[in-house]
Amino acid sequence: MNQILRITTGLIITCFLAGLVMGGVFTITHDAKKKNEHMIFEETMLGLLGYGKSTPPPQDLKFKAIYRYLIEDAKDIERKDLAYMVPVLDDKGEKFKLLILSQEGELKEALDLKLEPEKAFEAKERQEALEAVLGKEKRAIYGDSAIVAVQGDKRVAYLLPGRFPGFKTMIKAMLALEPDFTVKGVEIMEHEEDPGLGGEITQDYFKNQFVGKPFGKLKELKVVKEPLPEEYRKILEGAQIPPQERARQLSQFKDKDIYALTGATISSKAVTEGLKGMASSFAYRFKNLEKIASTQGLRLAF
Amino acid sequence: MAATTKSNSELFLNGILNENPIFRLALSMCPAVGLTTTMTNGLLLGIAVTFVQVFSSCTIALIKDYIHPRIRIPTYTFTIATWVTVIDMVLAAYVPGAYKAMGIFVKLIVAFAIITMRLETFACKNNFVKSFWDGLGMGLGFMFGMMAIGFVRELLGMGTLFGYKVLGFRTLLFFVLPAAGFFCVGLMMAIFNYVEFKLKQKRR
Repeated sequence: MNQILRITTGLIITCFLAGLVMGGVFTITHDAKKKNEHMIFEETMLGLLGYGKSTPPPQDLKFKAIYRYLIEDAKDIERKDLAYMVPVLDDKGEKFKLLILSQEGELKEALDLKLEPEKAFEAKERQEALEAVLGKEKRAIYGDSAIVAVQGDKRVAYLLPGRFPGFKTMIKAMLALEPDFTVKGVEIMEHEEDPGLGGEITQDYFKNQFVGKPFGKLKELKVVKEPLPEEYRKILEGAQIPPQERARQLSQFKDKDIYALTGATISSKAVTEGLKGMASSFAYRFKNLEKIASTQGLRLAF
Repeated sequence: MAATTKSNSELFLNGILNENPIFRLALSMCPAVGLTTTMTNGLLLGIAVTFVQVFSSCTIALIKDYIHPRIRIPTYTFTIATWVTVIDMVLAAYVPGAYKAMGIFVKLIVAFAIITMRLETFACKNNFVKSFWDGLGMGLGFMFGMMAIGFVRELLGMGTLFGYKVLGFRTLLFFVLPAAGFFCVGLMMAIFNYVEFKLKQKRR
């Protein structure tokens, strides 16, 4: 009995101390970590638009986010509605509106949200605002988000953060599309593919192959097991050549499929399929959203 | 085993050469085979392991008198897991650049055999200062081993070192694959053993 007590006390004290240390460090580092994640996200977005340390973004470049949710009704579990949280403009300025759509894509309800645009990137703030308008019976489940980059009143690009299955684990990526849905850029944000094989998906010579693919081609993009032509590789890696020559060379590869990475066909296919899926579902949803907004007379903030 | 009589510098070198975790003790072979495709991997993982080893060894050396001998292992595991979590959180918060590269490795360290083994055979019998030097030596020895394997595999497999092109052409893909890890580890162990054998012969 004595031993049981001694062992139990010993382990409880160990756990307690370990908990104190970890809890303390968590409290100290939590804010900094969140800030970093947000910063990395923003840097990725700017990088895809071609801005960085040496080329600062213009002052009037703004990011407007659309958040997609699934709404579950406690009374009718089978029925799930789609909801978009979109920034709209009215006389007083910008505010968020929640558009609830049926599964057929018809607008059911448009609700005003009490959510300041600056705080919308915080998942907690959004959830609170949603709970306030939806009531207790309905539950909102976060789907994904899309960001529209605007400069003045002109759309510059759509930025789509997303995740899709890779060879081993989920790959987190961001896809940038031109206003006409041509691919503007691809960035792999997190992955756990094999270093040296599937890990090469982060390299310029792979991800830049997607750049400039028109939407029509993107929808039926495939992966081919052919060696990457040397002159194409040089362009993809950003070799210094005259712009005219570059454009001529690139147009030659514009309608080509994606060249698979050596020894990592599965990873190459996973990325291609994932980006394809992200782009096509976004294009479909976005067009629908725009249609609804125009029939409802809403002025979208992008 | 009673407390060690070796001096601090001997303890430090012991971890790197005589009792190198990978080549002599043959511990922590999973990372030695799986994560050594590049030298950068070896370096980053080595740094993380060194920190965890030093912190854990020092903690155990401090509290060794209060640990009930029958529950040593759970206590070690708690200690290691705590330090790994702390390092993981600190890296994520203050060095996001490095965290992006080594984040996936740091969490794996909890299960590394070498750390528990050093706590069990050394830190729980020796004082704080000696445990610090032993931990540092073992951590750096691990780093040395990982980087040595990484050097061979990266150079022969991808023709690069630390990601910089050295050979200028893509070489034997085989060396990047996991199986080559076993070959490299085996060959290097053989070299270590051969050198030791020769040294012993000389002494005689």
